[in-house]
Amino acid sequence: MAKKKPSRLDQLVKLVLYPLNWLEERTSIPGHSGLVGGIKYFLFRKVPSDISWGHTLGSAALTAFIVQAVTGVILAMYYKPDPNSAYESIRHITDDLWAGWLVRGMHRWGASVFIILLFLHMGRVFLYGAYKYPRELNWIIGALILVLGMMEGFFGYLLPWDQTAYWATVVGVNLQATGPFVGPFLGPVLQGGHDIGPDTLARFYSLHMLVIPGALAGLIGLHLWLVVRIGVSSPPWSPTEAGRPQPGPPPAPRKGLVAPAPRGARRR
Amino acid sequence: MNRRLEERRAYHARYKHDVKTRGKPFYPYAMFHDTVMSLLVVIVIVVLAVIWKYSTPHEDPSSSGWLGKLYDEKADPGTTNFVPRPDWYFYFLFYLLRIFKWPESVILGTVLIPTLLIVLLIALPFIDIGRERRPLRRPVAMTAAILVIISMGALTYKGATAKEPLAAENLVLVPKWAQKQGFAGNQTAVDGAKIFAQVGCMNCHTYLGAGTSNLGAPDLSSIGKTSNRGVAGFADYVSDPSKFGNNVMPQFRDLGADNLRKLGTFLQSSGTCSPKSSNCPAAGGQ
Repeated sequence: MAKKKPSRLDQLVKLVLYPLNWLEERTSIPGHSGLVGGIKYFLFRKVPSDISWGHTLGSAALTAFIVQAVTGVILAMYYKPDPNSAYESIRHITDDLWAGWLVRGMHRWGASVFIILLFLHMGRVFLYGAYKYPRELNWIIGALILVLGMMEGFFGYLLPWDQTAYWATVVGVNLQATGPFVGPFLGPVLQGGHDIGPDTLARFYSLHMLVIPGALAGLIGLHLWLVVRIGVSSPPWSPTEAGRPQPGPPPAPRKGLVAPAPRGARRR
Repeated sequence: MNRRLEERRAYHARYKHDVKTRGKPFYPYAMFHDTVMSLLVVIVIVVLAVIWKYSTPHEDPSSSGWLGKLYDEKADPGTTNFVPRPDWYFYFLFYLLRIFKWPESVILGTVLIPTLLIVLLIALPFIDIGRERRPLRRPVAMTAAILVIISMGALTYKGATAKEPLAAENLVLVPKWAQKQGFAGNQTAVDGAKIFAQVGCMNCHTYLGAGTSNLGAPDLSSIGKTSNRGVAGFADYVSDPSKFGNNVMPQFRDLGADNLRKLGTFLQSSGTCSPKSSNCPAAGGQ
């Protein structure tokens, strides 16, 4: 029997699949899918049939975060976190660099868009009652993302080193000093001394572009992981709401949990 | 196993079952919506940046366009005319500080209420533990949410529209003050009043009806009578208020000894320069 020559298409498919299989082979353990399998699962997993635009606010907020990350990295290439040159570097970015105003403008306004989308996303989750079992932990992670997002705003506000930035931060730091116990220590720790100066700017810069964004990225990853694992909730008023009791035998509880067989009629 | 957990697990198992049997794949259905929305977000951000840039007059890049200035003047710890304005999502906190005044209740606005809000936000899933998700059947949760939205909105609006006085506007008032308070003949006090009008004191303090009582700072119209620290005492206080237990007011050490002395003279003259009073600083200084 003569061996058939593989077609062009088969060769192409093989060419694409080879690195994917290689990657899968090296990221999976027996019985569990690896990176490629995970991405496949992410893309082709089932979601409730009745979800729509309301469920896009989370990914919209993620998009705004990515815009902040990308524009932030570009700004960091030209910004100088030092009181003698910070203001001038901002003016240089805005006035002289090609599209510098665009990158800075996107970063400045993207921050507000990010916060607005976080609030809208939170409102949607609240309206749908989607913070209830088993999604409580993801609500908490979301709340932390909101708090950290606002802190990003506070620490980033000083960086242009103009009058508004400086004096708003003076007031902000002074207000934190009114707190009980830790309050009086918080100011000097944040400022890196008794006045707002070079150390404050360096400290705020580090917090604004390393510490908080790192924490945010980690929390967003965890948030998404839980979303995929648990699943997004149907709108509660939908006639085809996933999870609403249907006529017929109830499905068996999840495997692996110490759960007795379901008994009795279920109430909604 | 308790009954609630059992019910919850059954509900989620039913959810997983329904999604598996009746759901749609994320790609392409949900991903289509997400992609359109993400593009919209990027477009909105770019449009905001473009409006910000191109509504600013070319001939004067430091003036304000539709979305505010491209940049303010460079930070100067030594001067003048600052406007402590936070970003808009802190306006509600900003306004809380006008409601809760320093020093008695400022801690309510700076620490207690923000902490309470964060704790309530995080604790929500443990407070609202019912399984019902339909909004109309959750009257308590919905009422609470609407109240929060209204109050946050109102505080944000009030914080946004709270007017900060401009130094130039305050400066006009100095001769009127000098006449009313009776220190017109004392050039040091008049100079001090000009400093007072310009360096931002009136962003937090009121004086004879002008200025704003931001952060609950007291009215200073007759501070010379009520506080009576003397010229040097006031200069010391303004130089570093934290030495006197005031951690809210910024330091003004950078004004320099001469300016501080003038400021102190002005403050000591306020409310004490009526004909009967003997505390009024003599013309020319001490």
